[in-house]
Amino acid sequence: MDRETLRKLEMLNQLSLTEAQKDEVIDFFAKRDSELDIINKIDTENTERMVHVMPVLTVVREDVASQPFSRDDLQKGAPETDEGYWCVPKVME
Amino acid sequence: MRYETVIGLEVHVELATNSKIFCSCSAHSYGADPNSHVCPACCGMPGMLPVVNKRVVDFGMKAGMMLGCDINRVTTFDKKSYYYPDLPAAYQTTQWFAPVAVNGLVEIETSKGKKNIRIKQIHMEEDAGKLVHDIREDTTHVDFNRTSVPLIEIVSQPDLSSAEEVEAYLERLKTLLRYARVAECEMAHGTMRCDVNLSVRPEGSDKLGVRAEMKNMNSIEAIKRAIEYETARHIDAIENGTEELRQETRRWDDIKGKSYAMRTKETAGDYRYFPDPNVMPVVIDDEWFNSIKASLPEFPEVKREKYTGEYGLGEYDAEQLTKSIALCDCFEEAYSVCKSAKDAANWMISEVMSILNAKKMTYDMLDISGKALGELIVLVSDGKVGRVNAKKILSAMFDDASIDPAAYAEANGLIVSNDTGLVEEVVKAAIAADPKAVADFKGGKEKALMALFGKCMKQLKGNCDPAVLRTILIDHIQKS
Repeated sequence: MDRETLRKLEMLNQLSLTEAQKDEVIDFFAKRDSELDIINKIDTENTERMVHVMPVLTVVREDVASQPFSRDDLQKGAPETDEGYWCVPKVME
Repeated sequence: MRYETVIGLEVHVELATNSKIFCSCSAHSYGADPNSHVCPACCGMPGMLPVVNKRVVDFGMKAGMMLGCDINRVTTFDKKSYYYPDLPAAYQTTQWFAPVAVNGLVEIETSKGKKNIRIKQIHMEEDAGKLVHDIREDTTHVDFNRTSVPLIEIVSQPDLSSAEEVEAYLERLKTLLRYARVAECEMAHGTMRCDVNLSVRPEGSDKLGVRAEMKNMNSIEAIKRAIEYETARHIDAIENGTEELRQETRRWDDIKGKSYAMRTKETAGDYRYFPDPNVMPVVIDDEWFNSIKASLPEFPEVKREKYTGEYGLGEYDAEQLTKSIALCDCFEEAYSVCKSAKDAANWMISEVMSILNAKKMTYDMLDISGKALGELIVLVSDGKVGRVNAKKILSAMFDDASIDPAAYAEANGLIVSNDTGLVEEVVKAAIAADPKAVADFKGGKEKALMALFGKCMKQLKGNCDPAVLRTILIDHIQKS
């Protein structure tokens, strides 16, 4: 982990770290390098991909539409709503 | 130097399900009040767990089979990191590691002949919500009605090389997906959207050039113009150094006819895909797989061959009828009842399709019963209902698909009368009222007979066998 990679990760995760926090993260990953080396040496050539950590399958539901929730209830915790919309800080591309 | 354009498409198609992909909110909210089709799951509230809609997997498989793909019998969902307010969970649930269908092949035909386009994969995913920026200046308004509406994304290999090929490819996708009844595929409605990945390289080179992506294109004409513009821009940059090409996402402005850089293109790593621990793997067993396979329709070209060969129809009729699977189904059902392919085809093309056009309905919206149409055709060919009244019955069938033509004709006095006494009375009255027409006919003017015939038929409200009326009319004119 270098500062450039960390800068990109900050951007992707919408984070803003202080210089001290950045040092902490870089130090953390530097200590993990040797552990990652061990993992990377494991031969997985003939190992079937694990699709999920639990040996269970999904259940599926039939395609029936329903509307058991009201908008007013769902928006009770919203900082701001307007004309039925949730409001968020202005975003424009 | 000569250049070639290399194009790959990512086509998003909204699936025609009743409910969303991971919750039971309605998937149809076009024109509805904002946030009127939402629940804690599609609003991304903490602790909510997704439950997969079976029909989405059915349709994903069906689309894959129609496009010649291999179906992954264990298919899984993954999280795609995505920080933007139109997806409230801050990730999109999609498929990355084991999409439902892979390695397909679609044959297209252009002025240069036939060509195969490889499909890399088809994955199932949720749509994002809608952001409205112009209600107020200080805030963006968010509507989650569209959030979690099911999509499939069809990813092609970069096998396309011109706007004409792209158009042929998109038309082929539309036709096949509509035939399978998995999607409407109407770009104007937003139920089919397209991301175009384009690069340019010297002809014959096997190295790909710098790629630009144009997202969310929603008309074939705009896509064609954008491809032509981008190709010229890339060639100009390579030959004349007008700009440095970068891997980036661009926005196409169809009014100005130009594309603009939006942001540098994300790579797959930027999305940090990881398996969604909240959705267990979907395992497609033999029974499920085979039931979907058995439900696939015949391809349009197979139907055309059947109609011109086995059914003896002309090329034009076959071409018209195979424009939509709904037309095919209605025609075949009508034919199975009336036993005349030509009659069934004529009624479909000259009457049914005309009514659809007049009502501004797409052919896929046809929902009259083919069996009832067949019965109506039999009523006409047996002389029990006149053609004019049969059209009235057909029109009523569009308003009420449950109408039984014979019962409706009986209830509304539309059955041809066998009462020749009544016909004679009407004929006598018509002759008495128009001696000039009688004289004209006797003088050799055939048209005069038609005028009298029309008046009589009107008086009889169409309930008379035309041949019987004509015979009685001529007989009485000659006696007069």
